[in-house]
Amino acid sequence: MRDKSVPSDPSRRDVLRFAAASAVGLALPGRLSATSDAAVGHGGVSGPLQSAGVLALGPNNVLFVGDITGAAVHAFALQERDLTPQTGVELGNFHNFEGRDLVRGLDQKLAALLGTTYDKVVVSDMVVHQPSQQIFISVERGRGTDSLPAIVKVNHGRLEILELDRIPHSQVSIPNEPDSKAMLEFEPQQVYAITDVKYYKGELFVTGITNQRFASTVHRIPYPFNSSMATCTVEIWHPVHGQFETRAPIIRHVIRELNGEPYLFGVYGCTPIVRIPLSALKDGAHVHGDVIAEIGYGANPLDMLTFTSPADSKDYLLVTIDTRSASQIAVSELASAPAEPTGGGINFGPSGLGRTQRALPIKAEHFAILNPNWAVLIWRHPRTTYRLDLSTLAMPYFFERKDGMSEMNWPNGPDPFHYQDQRKEIDYVGRLGPV
Amino acid sequence: MWAASGRSEVVRRKGDVVSKPAARQPTLRIGSDPSPHGSGSVSACGLGPDLVAVLASCAQSDDLLKSIFRVTVASVPSPEGDSLPDVSGRYLLSDDELQFIPHLPFERGVKYRASFDPRPLGAPLMADSSMLEFVIPAGRNPSALTEVAHIFPSGDLLPENLLRFYVWFSNSMQRGRALEEISLLDSEGQPVADALYRPPVELWDRTMRHLTVLLDPGRLKRRVGPNAQLGPPLRVGQKYTLEIGAGMTDVYGRPLRAPFRKHFVVGDPVREHISVRSWNIAPPVTGSRQGLVLMFTSPLDWALLFHTITVESADGSVIDGRVVVDQCEMRWGFTPTSPWIAGIYHIRVGSSLEDVCGNTITGAFDRPLRKDIHLLTEINSSSLTFQPT
Repeated sequence: MRDKSVPSDPSRRDVLRFAAASAVGLALPGRLSATSDAAVGHGGVSGPLQSAGVLALGPNNVLFVGDITGAAVHAFALQERDLTPQTGVELGNFHNFEGRDLVRGLDQKLAALLGTTYDKVVVSDMVVHQPSQQIFISVERGRGTDSLPAIVKVNHGRLEILELDRIPHSQVSIPNEPDSKAMLEFEPQQVYAITDVKYYKGELFVTGITNQRFASTVHRIPYPFNSSMATCTVEIWHPVHGQFETRAPIIRHVIRELNGEPYLFGVYGCTPIVRIPLSALKDGAHVHGDVIAEIGYGANPLDMLTFTSPADSKDYLLVTIDTRSASQIAVSELASAPAEPTGGGINFGPSGLGRTQRALPIKAEHFAILNPNWAVLIWRHPRTTYRLDLSTLAMPYFFERKDGMSEMNWPNGPDPFHYQDQRKEIDYVGRLGPV
Repeated sequence: MWAASGRSEVVRRKGDVVSKPAARQPTLRIGSDPSPHGSGSVSACGLGPDLVAVLASCAQSDDLLKSIFRVTVASVPSPEGDSLPDVSGRYLLSDDELQFIPHLPFERGVKYRASFDPRPLGAPLMADSSMLEFVIPAGRNPSALTEVAHIFPSGDLLPENLLRFYVWFSNSMQRGRALEEISLLDSEGQPVADALYRPPVELWDRTMRHLTVLLDPGRLKRRVGPNAQLGPPLRVGQKYTLEIGAGMTDVYGRPLRAPFRKHFVVGDPVREHISVRSWNIAPPVTGSRQGLVLMFTSPLDWALLFHTITVESADGSVIDGRVVVDQCEMRWGFTPTSPWIAGIYHIRVGSSLEDVCGNTITGAFDRPLRKDIHLLTEINSSSLTFQPT
């Protein structure tokens, strides 16, 4: 399936290929060597990817892609043609908390674009390149051994495949991947081999589980890749479970500098938030993470990020959760919050900063910040069995007004929030048509 | 994407699907790539030099080509209907044809529609539009329909606290059907409620040929909530059937040849750790490549038996060889690559080995945790020794 055709601009393409090969060359020496057959990707628009997982952005428009099947993190140096400024895209009525569907029926449209049916589309992650407001989605076609990975961008509501084989590329192997047959009680261990990837000041931080005895791992990898990597294992006291834990992975993480010191904040399933100073993440270290918030039992975190509220200009940590409302905690509290005591009994929470959390009405499968006023989410439409939508959501209340039924929806209903003052654009579209 | 090199051989291959030819009318044809991972392609052929020239002159814009030569998925009735995008791909223009190559290969069994309509070019001598619907035949499908090859444990007398089944299919499968197609039936043929665990992700191995089906661990672990309220999922003395419905879908999108039923009777629970010391060792003969045989006192986990027991020489190096598990997972055989030599060998048993109930060499599946402080010191492996005779 490797493209053998004659390209329109062979010289440019050859240059890109050469650049990509050089970058890979840099990534290979030493123990990071990725020389086995397993390192060969699908080719074509899938480029070097064997699977498409978590996404992150780095400096100079680099897009990082976690590839669990290939046991690697890939870095694609996006080019101008890959980043189309999304100026002029209608995002919604910010004052009225009315977002817009940027792509309605995302799963069906991805299926059509990838030449398949919607039941064979798996959306893995979403990330926003904020300078251009370009949204990238990692997706796989197929659910079996023959699945094909792709990265798709959203260009003014249209979906376009990134031709990864034309983008300069380097990669780093993630060592000690779980055996492909190794099982957790209910799932293959490999599902959690790479749970999150974030870039911070010249380094990638990769969380997940390895085949080691203390399996919860953070890899700290210089970028651009060279032959070095620091690997630490992580232990926490899990209040809801009343025990020390060394194997469950950090599901999502963010890196933030607070009071002059950078920290990794990680969130686990069932649902502690943990603080680790980056200075503790040294190669070979067994790190104890301080639990600073227990945000409540029985929840699985989906995304974690920080944002600045347009209402009070303060920064907040936001965790979206599969089973209930998202959770918001003030960033200003994160560095100084005391660690929860260890060694006690089971505590279902909330505890620590979990007691200060604010519940936000976000029902996202994937979530990201688009710009200072708008977030963007992929969510399942409530009135259909199969329909994912890609929609905007106004910050900082993350409230989609049009989804609800309330007294204010009556034509002559009360208007305590002065929504009617902000409805001129709706009048144009709904009653007069475009003017 | 643009090229002037000839690619006509791709579309003249024998056996290609050809739309109805018409005089002076572009013809749409399917090109199948001979390589197993080939993308396939669809071409508008017989364009004639005038049309090729027009296409070449306006082809700097990919959008224009996309509006003239479109390929869409035709088989999906979708509420989004006409607003669905076309299949993503690129275009190659050659002497007499315009070729569309999808970015991801055409998927077998999916119906596509190609339409070629050059009229928007607005030039004279334009032909009318052509349309072709096609399905890439599932040419590489094995002729035999997929079936359940085996279910482990192999025995038909299984302990009350059985933890899991492995269902082994004759081909790779697709996800998504296990919940509705796999059920545990009682002696009357009625489904046993809440006996099988419903995992959030179906538990396939990487080849997608082996599916793990768990009995609800919460009902197996004594004294935890589901066990206290509902009791164990299986009852001693009762007859059951594990049924695999024919609606399981294989990698080619086909149902199974037939449903599969494993009948079994339930015996007493096993709540002991695996006693490695009670295994019977049949040592091989020195100088031969005879199999080393271990006989167990109760069936062990079929999958784990293949990679948790290793044979080492006296100096600790691992001996290469082939493992065979049979006699209802009561027997483990090991045939070395090189002949046995005189002296001591060690059989290392990894701590992850389990029996069919999830009991390990360090303890029973539902033992109280940390009751004994010494349990905190994990035993990583256990070993036996033998000498070839």
